[in-house]
Amino acid sequence: MTDQRSQAEIVRKSLKRRYRKERRFRLYGMLAIFIALASLVTLFADIISKGHTGFVKTTITLDVNLDSELMYLEDPTDADQRSMADFVAPIVAALQEQLPEVDGAGEKRELGRLLGTYAASEISDVLINNPELLDTTQTIEFLAHDRVSVYVKHAGNPRYSIKLSEQQQRWVDELLEKGVIDTSFNDVLFSRGDSREPANAGVLGAIVGSLLTMLVTLAISFPVGIAAAVYLEEFAPENKLTDFIEVNINNLAAVPSIIFGLLGLAVFIGLFGMPRSVPVVGGLVLALMTLPTIIISSRAAIKSVPPSIREAAEGVGASKMQVVLHHVIPLAMPGMLTGSIIGMAQALGETAPLLLIGMVAFIVDVPGGFFDSATVLPVQIYLWASSSEQGFVELASAAIMVLLTFMISMNALAIWLRKRLERRW
Amino acid sequence: MNTMNPSISAKADRRDQGAEIPVPQDKPEDTVIEEGKTVGKPFVNDPKFKLRNVNVSYGSDRAIKNISIDIGKHEVISFIGPSGCGKSTFLRCLNRMNDSIQICRVEGQLMLDDEDIYHSKRDVVELRARVGMVFQKPNPFPKSIYDNVAYGPRIHGLANRKSDLDEIVENSLRKAGLWEEAKDRLDAIATGMSGGQQQRLCIARAIAVSPEVILMDEPCSALDPIATARIEELIADMSKSYTIVIVTHSMQQAARVSDRTAYFHLGHLVEVNETNKIFTSPQHELTESYITGRFG
Amino acid sequence: MKKDKENAYGDHISHDFNNDLAALKADFLKMGGMVEEQLNNAVIALIDGDGNLADEVRAKDKIVDKLELELDEEATRIIARRQPAAKDLRLVIAVIKMVADLERVGDEAKKIAKFAMVLAEEGQAPRGYIEVRHISSHVSAMLHDALDAFARLDSEQALRVMKEDKMVDEEYKAATRTLLTFMMEDARNISRCMSVMWVLRALERVGDHACNVAEHVIFMVEGEDVRHSSVETAEKVVGR
Repeated sequence: MTDQRSQAEIVRKSLKRRYRKERRFRLYGMLAIFIALASLVTLFADIISKGHTGFVKTTITLDVNLDSELMYLEDPTDADQRSMADFVAPIVAALQEQLPEVDGAGEKRELGRLLGTYAASEISDVLINNPELLDTTQTIEFLAHDRVSVYVKHAGNPRYSIKLSEQQQRWVDELLEKGVIDTSFNDVLFSRGDSREPANAGVLGAIVGSLLTMLVTLAISFPVGIAAAVYLEEFAPENKLTDFIEVNINNLAAVPSIIFGLLGLAVFIGLFGMPRSVPVVGGLVLALMTLPTIIISSRAAIKSVPPSIREAAEGVGASKMQVVLHHVIPLAMPGMLTGSIIGMAQALGETAPLLLIGMVAFIVDVPGGFFDSATVLPVQIYLWASSSEQGFVELASAAIMVLLTFMISMNALAIWLRKRLERRW
Repeated sequence: MNTMNPSISAKADRRDQGAEIPVPQDKPEDTVIEEGKTVGKPFVNDPKFKLRNVNVSYGSDRAIKNISIDIGKHEVISFIGPSGCGKSTFLRCLNRMNDSIQICRVEGQLMLDDEDIYHSKRDVVELRARVGMVFQKPNPFPKSIYDNVAYGPRIHGLANRKSDLDEIVENSLRKAGLWEEAKDRLDAIATGMSGGQQQRLCIARAIAVSPEVILMDEPCSALDPIATARIEELIADMSKSYTIVIVTHSMQQAARVSDRTAYFHLGHLVEVNETNKIFTSPQHELTESYITGRFG
Repeated sequence: MKKDKENAYGDHISHDFNNDLAALKADFLKMGGMVEEQLNNAVIALIDGDGNLADEVRAKDKIVDKLELELDEEATRIIARRQPAAKDLRLVIAVIKMVADLERVGDEAKKIAKFAMVLAEEGQAPRGYIEVRHISSHVSAMLHDALDAFARLDSEQALRVMKEDKMVDEEYKAATRTLLTFMMEDARNISRCMSVMWVLRALERVGDHACNVAEHVIFMVEGEDVRHSSVETAEKVVGR
């Protein structure tokens, strides 16, 4: 008895020390998570603070008198006349109406510089579509010049330098007061391709390019990956060759992605003569890169199908093929899908291999098919981030946010699928 | 004559059903088991299975050592023995469930109704349709109750019309004593049932393809006593129309359900006898030691 | 099947099971010893005309009855809790049956003691006591041997007890004939001789019970029920 009691005493004494240890251990864990969370929050805060202005555009709304004499234009349907016409003049005239103090050719030219580069073509577009509007007054919204935009959004921000003259700044302030210059949601970002002009640049081209590329990747890597996984798990004999293949698949998953780019360049473009910068080649390269991930996760999913289910099916006389098709694959599907989606999300964020196959080109048009030149979101970000124009800085951050949204929704989809198709045995 | 003194010091004696008893390292000293020699009545007239000189090995390990036994028509025979004695391995030879294990080699003569089970031209699928199996852990497919039972008939093309299939499902569930409980929720997912119900569903699934033989590999080891009693009752009912081979860890279960009992020991078939005989006066001293709880 | 007899029921994995079976065996032998003593005392009381001893025997029968109940309970408990099989099962079953036989022997001893008191009160020359002494020593030895055979799991000895029973039956017949002659000689002897006759009858019954015990011992050891079968069959079973 006394022995037991003294033992209990020893245990009690050591308890405090043990609890202290435990608390310390828990603290380390919490600290690690805190650091991780803090960096994540910093990253997001930085991106959002830089990028949120990318979702805002600066516009100049004017009542423009489409005076045919002012534009030297009689028939808007005539392309020759259009090329000779001066579309800027009516806009400047409209601006001048708002700012009566402006006078002289020099000041007018300064005033015209507030307008975006494509203001003239906006009027031209209006007239091409509706020639009858000639010689009427229309309210038209123009994109402001990048410099105006920077001034409006970032006046007083030391990271941005204002490139407007004092006089121009005064005009802008006045126009802002009058509500002529205004800011609104940047629909341009989601409706246009790339541009040299930040105000006119959008990510639609990159999004479509990414989607096309991902479609190709999915169409190739998912069936091939699952077929390979099923074969290796269910049918392949256990021998040196399959061991060798297995080791190599695992190694392939660790190969730097740029190597896949080199491979794509050499094989698809060099050997097969496929065009550069197109989603098909990008998709093929990314498919190669994603395959090991899909194969490995699919094999894990197949392995986790309980042998009892296999036995049950075999026990009632199902053939190997039926066991696999009726039981193993449906039960492994959630795991396979999750693996594939995560693989796709990886591929979506991949830049390096695509640089090598020429998807880094400056492409204005939104791609219309798999064989159109295209760029993808991460490459677009890379392009904008390395661009010198001030307006592209916020655009790059905005594009990062778009990309992150895609990634997060893909991961959410993976989680949802897993929950939805959760193992039910 | 010889000393029977297995130096076992295990204190706990919970011979509960399914409770795993420590592996038998202590076989009575000097007890020589002569390979291929089985005492009792291993052979019957007009057998369903005629098994002669069966050897099974995993690589270089011999799991089954020269076993010869008959299994009669419409007989319930149970295989008992300590863990690792080869009873499950032997059971799995009867419908070639060992095929998927690459290193497993089966030798000897295994005849089902005078046809060689392991003939190279023998179709495993056909064999398994005739020799069904119920496993240790209830393993219904994660599908509806209906689909579970209908799966076998579907893949074998036993029912061409929906009404035929419905009939097979109902009959099988009735035979498995599950119809009353399941008829209102045939579309419910099978894995939501209780363990005992799941196991009866597995039996229904096995009998849905109208097999001649049903192999049961410790069918009650995961079940509570009431569910176990239900299954045993079911086995008694089914013995009228099927040959049933059951591997069990519970000697009481073997005593309750089977007509004959076979005792396996380290890959040998030591004794086969009428169950009454085995449990009152077994002929071989190893059998006696095992069933009286002296080792195992 | 021949093993170390000492250890025959003592090598289960479960220690408690061993103890249970050992206790059952010991209690049975204790009851056996008690019954043996009762029988011997009853016969001594009869022959010596010792009324006190006869009284003691009648009183002690209660203890025998109590032992019977205890043993039955013990056996039931073992069956319920341990589900014995094979030889353990046979041991328990045999004990349950043999206990009934022993209790009967106890009853017969009590009966003899009763007649001992009656005869002692009458206090006349002991006719037929030679036969009583003879048969009683015989059946007492049989009972002893049967219990001994149980203790040592010796089926051969049990077989010998079975064979003895035949001889006891012969002696009983001879003794009754002698007593009949006494009764025919003098009608006044009839009542006394009848009492002695009952004693002889009781002793003969004891022999039968001893024989039953021996048969159960054979069943216990050999696993074959030899009741209601000829001695030859029993010999075959034991000789295996």
